[in-house]
Amino acid sequence: MPAGLVAARMLGDSPAMSLFLIVALPFLGAVLPGLMIQAGRRTCFLTTLLTTAAAAIGLASHAPAILRGETVMARLPWLPELGLDVNLFLDPLGFMFAGLILGIGLLIITYARYYLSRDDNMGEFYSYLLLFQGAMVGIVLSDNILMLLVFWELTSLSSFLLIGFWKHLPEGRQGARMALTVTGMGGLAMIGGMLILGQIAGSYDLSVILTKGEMIRQSPLYLPALILILLGCFTKSAQFPFHFWLPHAMAAPTPVSAYLHSATMVKAGLFLMARLWPVLAGTEAWTVIVSSAGLATMVIGALIAIFKNDLKALLAFSTVSQLGLITFLLGTGTPFGAMAAVFHILNHASFKAALFMTAGIVDHAVHSRDMTRLGGLRRLMPITFAIATLAGLSMAGIPLLNGFISKEMMLEEALHTTLFGTPLLVAVVAGIGALLSAAYSFRLIAHTFLGPERTDYPAHPHDPEPGLWLPPILLMIPVIVLGVAPFLAEPFVKLVTGAVIGPGAQLPKEHLALWHGLTPALGISAAAVLGGLLILSVQRPLARLWDAAPRPEAKAIFDALIGAIVAAARLLTSRLHDGAFTRYAAIMVAAVLAAGLHAWFTGSGWTPGREMLPVTPAALAAWAMLVVASASLVVIHRNRLAVLVLMGIIGLMVSVGFNYFSAPDLALTQISVEVVTIILLLLALNFLPNRSPAESGAARRLRDGLIALAGGGAAAALIYVILLSDFPAASISDYHLANSYKGGGGDNVVNVILVDFRGFDTFGEIIVLGIAALVIYALTETLLSGPVRARLLNRGYEEDRAGDAHPLMMVVLTRVMMPIILMVGVYIFMRGHNEPGGGFVAGLVVAIAVVMQYMASGFEWAAKRQRYPYHGIIGAGVLVAGLTGIGAWFVGAPFLTSAFGYVTLPPLEKFELATAMGFDLGVFLAVVGAVMLSLESFSRLGRRAGTEVNDHPMDIDPSRSARRTDPMGQLDAPAGPGHSADRAASNQAEES
Amino acid sequence: MTSADFSTVLPEFVLAFYALVALLGAVYTGKDEHGPLLTWLTGGVFVLLAAWIGFSGQNDLAAFGGSFKDDGFSRFAKVTILLSAASILVMSEGYMARRGLLRFEYPLLVALAVVGMMVMVSAGDLMVLYMGLELQSLALYVVASLRRDSVKSTEAGLKYFVLGALSSGLLLYGASLTYGFAGTTLFDGIFLAASAGDMPLGLLFGLVFIASGLAFKVSAAPFHMWTPDVYEGSPTPVTAVFATAPKVAAMALFARVVHDAFGGIVGDWQQIVALLSVASMFLGAIAAIGQTDIKRLMAYSSINHMGFALMGLASGTAYGVQAMLVYMAIYVTMNIGTFAFILGMERDGRPVVRISALSMYSRQEPLKALAVLVLMFSMAGVPPLLGFFGKFYVLSAAVQADLGWLAILGVIASAIAAFYYLRIIYLMYFGAETEALDTGGSRVLWGFLMASAAAMVFGIVNLFGIEGAAALAAATLVN
Repeated sequence: MPAGLVAARMLGDSPAMSLFLIVALPFLGAVLPGLMIQAGRRTCFLTTLLTTAAAAIGLASHAPAILRGETVMARLPWLPELGLDVNLFLDPLGFMFAGLILGIGLLIITYARYYLSRDDNMGEFYSYLLLFQGAMVGIVLSDNILMLLVFWELTSLSSFLLIGFWKHLPEGRQGARMALTVTGMGGLAMIGGMLILGQIAGSYDLSVILTKGEMIRQSPLYLPALILILLGCFTKSAQFPFHFWLPHAMAAPTPVSAYLHSATMVKAGLFLMARLWPVLAGTEAWTVIVSSAGLATMVIGALIAIFKNDLKALLAFSTVSQLGLITFLLGTGTPFGAMAAVFHILNHASFKAALFMTAGIVDHAVHSRDMTRLGGLRRLMPITFAIATLAGLSMAGIPLLNGFISKEMMLEEALHTTLFGTPLLVAVVAGIGALLSAAYSFRLIAHTFLGPERTDYPAHPHDPEPGLWLPPILLMIPVIVLGVAPFLAEPFVKLVTGAVIGPGAQLPKEHLALWHGLTPALGISAAAVLGGLLILSVQRPLARLWDAAPRPEAKAIFDALIGAIVAAARLLTSRLHDGAFTRYAAIMVAAVLAAGLHAWFTGSGWTPGREMLPVTPAALAAWAMLVVASASLVVIHRNRLAVLVLMGIIGLMVSVGFNYFSAPDLALTQISVEVVTIILLLLALNFLPNRSPAESGAARRLRDGLIALAGGGAAAALIYVILLSDFPAASISDYHLANSYKGGGGDNVVNVILVDFRGFDTFGEIIVLGIAALVIYALTETLLSGPVRARLLNRGYEEDRAGDAHPLMMVVLTRVMMPIILMVGVYIFMRGHNEPGGGFVAGLVVAIAVVMQYMASGFEWAAKRQRYPYHGIIGAGVLVAGLTGIGAWFVGAPFLTSAFGYVTLPPLEKFELATAMGFDLGVFLAVVGAVMLSLESFSRLGRRAGTEVNDHPMDIDPSRSARRTDPMGQLDAPAGPGHSADRAASNQAEES
Repeated sequence: MTSADFSTVLPEFVLAFYALVALLGAVYTGKDEHGPLLTWLTGGVFVLLAAWIGFSGQNDLAAFGGSFKDDGFSRFAKVTILLSAASILVMSEGYMARRGLLRFEYPLLVALAVVGMMVMVSAGDLMVLYMGLELQSLALYVVASLRRDSVKSTEAGLKYFVLGALSSGLLLYGASLTYGFAGTTLFDGIFLAASAGDMPLGLLFGLVFIASGLAFKVSAAPFHMWTPDVYEGSPTPVTAVFATAPKVAAMALFARVVHDAFGGIVGDWQQIVALLSVASMFLGAIAAIGQTDIKRLMAYSSINHMGFALMGLASGTAYGVQAMLVYMAIYVTMNIGTFAFILGMERDGRPVVRISALSMYSRQEPLKALAVLVLMFSMAGVPPLLGFFGKFYVLSAAVQADLGWLAILGVIASAIAAFYYLRIIYLMYFGAETEALDTGGSRVLWGFLMASAAAMVFGIVNLFGIEGAAALAAATLVN
């Protein structure tokens, strides 16, 4: 419809209420009952009724246009970016549903006024009910499918609140949970379906989508969309295999059951199937899925209903069965089926709502809904009996009542439908369904009202006040009128059918009539009624059989399913997240490997860009050593001391490797770092057992080994590829080679980079190094002042200690070596600018010289002789470096700009002086300080009770014992572990 | 450093400067007794900075030769980060103070982490990326093990640290490969190198490893292993921090890298991101079902949500980035509300994290229960609440990018995930009788809970206008 026409309609050439207002009224009205309850139940009821009536009148004001075959539209942009607009449209299908919702709503509101007891919070109830009503009207009037989704889920939400209205009933809880879980998940699945639908059609407006049926059915995404949408519809309308939630939701108050669970909400799924009929129906998939689900639901629901003793449970399963019938009709995909479906929707709404209300009346009057405790009520409650009988017979499909007509049509349609290539299969199943339906309908009447009067009713049965029986009586009017004169409804039904099947399709020629002649359908119908009576007569023995027979109980299956899902989820979680770090690391490595493989296979392929270097025997030997050492390390990794030895070999080979590839600087640094770290690890060994325990079994080790091999292999392969590839960008080494001497005055590019090109980085690095050392110091200090101290001090010795902790040979050797090493340090420092070396390496070398003294003569002895604290040395290093950098400011250059020049001092050759040297000195000092401070901190932890402080540099000192005249001069000689027990004791006292 | 460069990074500088000054100040004065004050103060600074960034100029600036970018995208992310971090800080003050956990370093570490996040989302260079990432991570490693006397907390912190170091290493490896084969660390340069003809294999590997490292930071499966342990082990306010601001930052950084640096080769990373998305959505949905601890549940829930956000990213379009930003903003809002509730879960003054403790909560606190109901429905993505719009945005982005299969899988995952959100609602309204939780509680928490729930309901009118801002932000990133 063109926009101008819409506007004209909205502005009112006829006095019609805006569609927005019709949808909004119940929502706006939903606040009123909550407020009005203060003014009394009557006012509360009247406001609710008036709100609904206003909406109904608004809807009625569109009737002329609708009956003329027009479509009313109203649009308002909301979130256009998302394609989400408040677009409403009203066509005959929407009109019928909206009419049902509001009309039955009026009756239910009236009924609930008298049904709810004084203890119930009526305001809350009516608020929820109006909220629900608004959502339902929204569904049927939505033009935008996203709006439809919004309203769809709103019905789930509000129905959740309504089902839970009587929270104190345990079955209510179960019901609410099941309803919420099933319909909520179905609704979420539907979002996906709608999204795809909108994407294929290029619009989220139903009025557009409905014109693109062919395009959608051709789309490869048709099947996923269909399945997702049907998931939503089937869950909402309780179709097999999701039929189980509906009966359990019936714990809600009866007006809710009557309204939500028979007349409106459960029909939302049917509505949507009818709405999307022109788009989705007509394919093989649609027919097979929808009609077989409908047939299955019809039979299963009816079968269970026969054996339910609770009136409401019987009605609940009968509803499931009837919904299945309608689903089947929609599923056949023929216009006639659609017409039958439309007509049955109308009929079912009228008789089923009435039946629910009578069940409520019985419950209200007798205080029981258990049919084994009822019976014989026909004289005591004549009005109720009359209503229930009429409605029940209509449901059974007895002529002259409306249920008969639509059931005939259903059987007629079934006779023409073939599923799974088997003719008559559908007809037989549908016949069985009709038979069972007749059986439970008869049983409902017989076991409640017929039979002898009883004396043991829980309460005295009586007909209730008119407020309770008037609403169902009103519903009996269409039941009878349409049953006797179905042609009255024909124009309207055909109008709605036309809206369902879409403008292009041919309306069915058949007429709604009581008598079609002696058709096969009539035969089946008659057989069904007779069969129903037969079953009724043997219902009691059958019920005993039924109870005894094992059968799948949907609720039990649901619970078991949920239980199984939870258990499976737990299993998955416990497998993945067992808390073990190794597991996490393994998963991560595996994932990275997979990602790498993905990159390799999706990449553009690889061709080596250069030749491999020749493999010399020496290189091969070194490589073999590296590999053998690494492999042995893995094998014997539990023996920690041996591991250290192997690590030494690996470090050495790596250093050699650097040297081999012309990186003497790196080699020098590497080897110094190796020495320092090995010393550090030796210290750490102090705190560790000799062997690490084996914690994992062989299978696990094998698995871990495989992952490790894969990881290592992948890394090696990657490196191989990269090494043989040509880098597209030019290497930056050329720049440095060209500028190192010119700009930095040094031939050693690495050193010039460190102290000049990237001086700022280095400055930062030495600060970080210093901070790290200080943090180590601070941590050990904190540790030693805490409870850990006592434990550390009182550790026992695992093995015999060396008799000679400070051996003569070592002391002498280290003393002799110290000046040599210091000299080497100075040498390395000085040559650093032009040859391999520099402040960093020199710092490490000097640190090694000092550490050796600690090792030889013991911590205390060495510490006493140490004059400058290491903190100070670090600080001095940073300051010197910083000041050198700042020096540049005085000549107007930026921070850390270096300068160099040549100086000649007479006895020496001409030599170079660069400001970078000052900076390098800072680096040197910081490195020495940092290494020493951290080593010192760690060794503090190594002290323990029983360690005496040695006053002498070595334990056995020949010169010292020679000086003594005491013949017992060997006192100083070392004893074993228990050496000088008294001193140890005093030492311990001092420590604690 | 020119003054233009400096003025571009001024917000980051101000925050870093504030954190350092406050740190020194507190060390030399009252230390932990300043905890509450510093927490509120830091929150205030965050809000002011957010206002400053949000209302400052709309120009796109680049500082330090393009390695730091101040554009619409980074501003959107920064405002989200700052506001969410401020909310969490303010919310956590009462909880931590009462339990003696409120050390003065806590707000300042969070502030430093936020500086890192702000740098991350502005990164225009691999170096800056790494710097921001590590500043954030290091601060968060410490915060994770804040409760030093708890074995769980320290274990969580250690695991997080070691795995985080591993992922950082991976990222660095990727970065160095990228640098090697692109010849530059600048995103703009990498973009050119990657888009020019045949992409070298090394660059592809660089991309894959960088993506893996970033996946760890957003806790996308299968790099998510740390998340549940850290969420459970950390003190609840810290968990709340983890669940909000860092996720936004990491996701924004992810978007920044794939679009700014690798935007020319969408096809090469689209599959990776899509797979991460699917794995996260399903793992988050399935593993959460069996949880009994609400913090672990939130961990899996966040993994699931990250999967959805990644779906937006996977579409590889500006619309996808916009969807991702909207999703993240909504996600953060929902999480703030949910954590406001979790922080208030107490029995006899002791924190409770068992989900079963929520049984029949609606009877004691109908209003709070209603707010949680709204939040849970929103998390599940049930229309018409705000969470639905986030999900819908990313789903439609995926469908528009011809990733229909991804959208369908996402819908299925969201249906599975709905189960555990609905379970919480079910327990609150219909659970078995159990020992009741304390009623009442902090007004601040109450306020945040209600505000967040109200946002879920009223946000549906126009999403508070964030979609426009997100669209602008996405447009500056993808062009």
